[in-house]
Amino acid sequence: MSEPLPRADDLSATWKFVEPGLELILGSDVSPKMYMSVYTAIYNYCINKSRATQQQDAEVQRLNGNNNMNTQGSLLIGGQIYSKLNNYLAQYVQSLTKRPDESFLQFYVRTWQRYTIGAGYLNNIFDYMNRYWVQKERSDGKRHIYDVNTLCLLKWREDMFRKNVDTLINEILEQIQLQRLNKVDSSNDLSIAIKSFVSLGFDSNDLKKTNLSVYMNDFEKKFLELTREFYLNESNVFLQNNNVVDYMRKAEARLAEENSRANLILDEHTKKPLADVLNEVLIDKHAEAMYAAFPTLLDQNQLEDIHRMYSLLQRVPPTLEPLLQQFEEYIKREGLKAIEELKEEASKISSSSSSNGAKKAGAIDPKLYVRTIIDVYKRFVNTVNVSFKKNGLFVKSLDNASHEFINKNAIATPTPRSQSKTPELLAKYSDTLLKRKAKDSDSTSDMSVDDLMTVFKFINDKDAFETHYRRLLARRLIFNQAATDGEEEAVIQRLKQENSLEYTSKMTKMFQDMQASQELRSAFRDRALEDGSKDIVPDFTMYVLAETMWPFSAWKYPFKLPKELLPTQEKFEQMYNEKHSGRQLKWIWNHCRGEVKANIAKQGKPPFILSMSVFQMAIILPFNDRDTYSFEELLDITDLSSEYLEASIAPLVKFKLLNQKPAAPEFINKPNTKFTVVSEYRSKKMRVKFDYPLKIESKLESSDTQREIDEDRKNFIQACIVRIMKARKMLNHSALINEVIQQAHSRFNPTVSDIKKCIDILIEKEYLNRVDGDSYEYLA
Amino acid sequence: MVKRYVLVSSDNEKFPTERKVMEKSILLKNMLKDLFADDDDEPIEIPLPNVSSSVMKFILEWCEHYKDVDFEDDEDDDSKKSAPIDEWDKNFLNTDQEMLYEIILAANYMNIKPLLNAGCKMVAEMIRGKSPEEIRKTFNIVNDFTPEEEAAIRRENEWAEDR
Repeated sequence: MSEPLPRADDLSATWKFVEPGLELILGSDVSPKMYMSVYTAIYNYCINKSRATQQQDAEVQRLNGNNNMNTQGSLLIGGQIYSKLNNYLAQYVQSLTKRPDESFLQFYVRTWQRYTIGAGYLNNIFDYMNRYWVQKERSDGKRHIYDVNTLCLLKWREDMFRKNVDTLINEILEQIQLQRLNKVDSSNDLSIAIKSFVSLGFDSNDLKKTNLSVYMNDFEKKFLELTREFYLNESNVFLQNNNVVDYMRKAEARLAEENSRANLILDEHTKKPLADVLNEVLIDKHAEAMYAAFPTLLDQNQLEDIHRMYSLLQRVPPTLEPLLQQFEEYIKREGLKAIEELKEEASKISSSSSSNGAKKAGAIDPKLYVRTIIDVYKRFVNTVNVSFKKNGLFVKSLDNASHEFINKNAIATPTPRSQSKTPELLAKYSDTLLKRKAKDSDSTSDMSVDDLMTVFKFINDKDAFETHYRRLLARRLIFNQAATDGEEEAVIQRLKQENSLEYTSKMTKMFQDMQASQELRSAFRDRALEDGSKDIVPDFTMYVLAETMWPFSAWKYPFKLPKELLPTQEKFEQMYNEKHSGRQLKWIWNHCRGEVKANIAKQGKPPFILSMSVFQMAIILPFNDRDTYSFEELLDITDLSSEYLEASIAPLVKFKLLNQKPAAPEFINKPNTKFTVVSEYRSKKMRVKFDYPLKIESKLESSDTQREIDEDRKNFIQACIVRIMKARKMLNHSALINEVIQQAHSRFNPTVSDIKKCIDILIEKEYLNRVDGDSYEYLA
Repeated sequence: MVKRYVLVSSDNEKFPTERKVMEKSILLKNMLKDLFADDDDEPIEIPLPNVSSSVMKFILEWCEHYKDVDFEDDEDDDSKKSAPIDEWDKNFLNTDQEMLYEIILAANYMNIKPLLNAGCKMVAEMIRGKSPEEIRKTFNIVNDFTPEEEAAIRRENEWAEDR
């Protein structure tokens, strides 16, 4: 060892020994020998002084006769050397000087990097003082005493950072500005300088904790101000000279750039406030400009740009709200417009081909109607998926808009108050889809159950759809036009899933009736063959349908079945009553048909098969006995009203099975008009069809349907009220109305006045009682 | 393992030592970290001017024994303070009083906390259960209290008596 260690009890000698080492240590250039010598000198000083003080104390105590044993046994030493170190560090930091060729920032970063390494060494070299004296002082509550590393940082903060803070921060911000203008890359220096601000913030109560007081107060605040100013200016200028789409690209790039700079040089803490500033200046302030461009982007279906707009705006959630509204309005407008166009198109076509007479003027093809809705819907589903990444808020906007334009549009509601025709058109769509079709027909290739269900989901009057659907289903079943059972059932299954078991219960029952009728028919055939009677028609094809499930009502007018068919009717009623006593069979004569074999062909030709309604059969069968009957006589024989007789006889005359005399059409229903059967019938076909649907029937049908819907609604509302009141016993008027509307929602939207009417009916029936003016009480 | 680090005792004896063994001393561990972060091959002498060669042997034996044990850093763990002395440490430290004190001093100087603790516990064991007279005898202390002083102290500390 070149120099002997100083005397342990000599402070100034010790310091003199230590001091030259400190410079080397802070300059990070030190040998193990120097390191150990300085450590040992400080150790010796502390430990020797401690012992000495202890002895002195003991002596002082004895001299004073003080027996207080609570006196701290070992007084720890370090205060004097600590204060020498403190002074030394201040001088050292102050003596650091900038070289002429470097900027202040470069000087700061260079000296800081060296200083912090040296501070770490010093902390270890003064370990003995840290371990005993500093710890003791701090645990005695002296918060102005720090471990050596922190002391070094404190001196730096006071003598370097504080004295130069303005120069330093300005240079840093200047560099960041230059980066933004793409002029320099000084990230490394910036990162080191900015990190030093974090190190310089420590909590004097708990040295293990750093805080961001220096970083935030001296740097972050100014940085954020500058950033706001810069982008406020840049974005305004940019938008004055460029369009919104370009602006959005620019903003996106700027956000990415700021984010990566933040990762590179800033503390994690700044990310949030920086994002807030950028969002405010780049997005919130220019949201209006983006909204203004939105419809055009939708017009042009610029999905990528719309997505860009969305991802910018969603950074500031409140700015999405107006976009959602715009989106909803836009879809609604597009939907209404498409349907308006379809309506105009339809009226043009039907007026140009009205001579054809096949279509009524302005009639809408349900297939085109649904197609139009689906096209609009799918277009925006795509927008939601691609541009809005299936965000739930936009899905909801799409649903709201679809709801609106599907239920109320130029076709569905020609006047604002009319009941929506959409359920009916949708039911017709399903009928076209499900009707058995010619093998090579591809008329339904662009239709699907999925599309049907999509529209179904949005219709308000689900009950109206059910009624129309059931009516058409009934026709398909009775006239044997249904698609396969599998297809029919699949649709009903989907309806059940989408709505409820109750919703499809009637349809399900209809299929059961069809099945049961099939069994009845074969039982009847067996019985008829067994019986062997020639008067009974064994091929009698009856359907036994539960009255409340099916959209048919029993024949309410007089009618005399031709005597040839009476035994069959009687036999069947007898068989049915044996099986199900107590059930009542009603006949729906207006839907009965049959085939008549007529030997009125040319000599040697096979007989004709005439397919007829049962009314027509009742008219034609008497001609087996006589060739001519008057209208009056036929009224008498059939017991039909003159309207029905006229409607039934007209096709027989038109297709020349009967000759009318006088022949002029207006004479058809005059009592004395004579009808004579032709002696020889001419037709290219072997089978001749006479049973065209009666015009009076189809007119009745549509008003029946509406009546049925209204009736069902009344019943449904009443059932709801009773159910609710039974559970609640007592309820006020508006609460009851609300609950009913809620319960009915999945079927239809009842009006308040409908509900009021039903309440009145129930009060009359003594289910309810009015109390206190605006409440109701349930009467058990 | 190349022993490129050489510890030098106060009486100039050289102890080539493995880095891992040295690192049981926080003083040496910090120093190595500060000055020799990356290894090179030149042998390096590290003077320890406060440790004599006879004590150094003891210390290095202890460090060698524990070189693969990772002592946890948590200081002031009360459960550790009251835990009994490790059997190996007890045998290891079962030496004359003078050497025990030297070891304790060196452990404090070199900052080897587990050894310092074990040494202090050994001293505490010597005191445990002994009367003041016996303690004076063990540690070679002259009784400089008057009988009156002694009686007064006894009264004051009655509460601490084991009963």
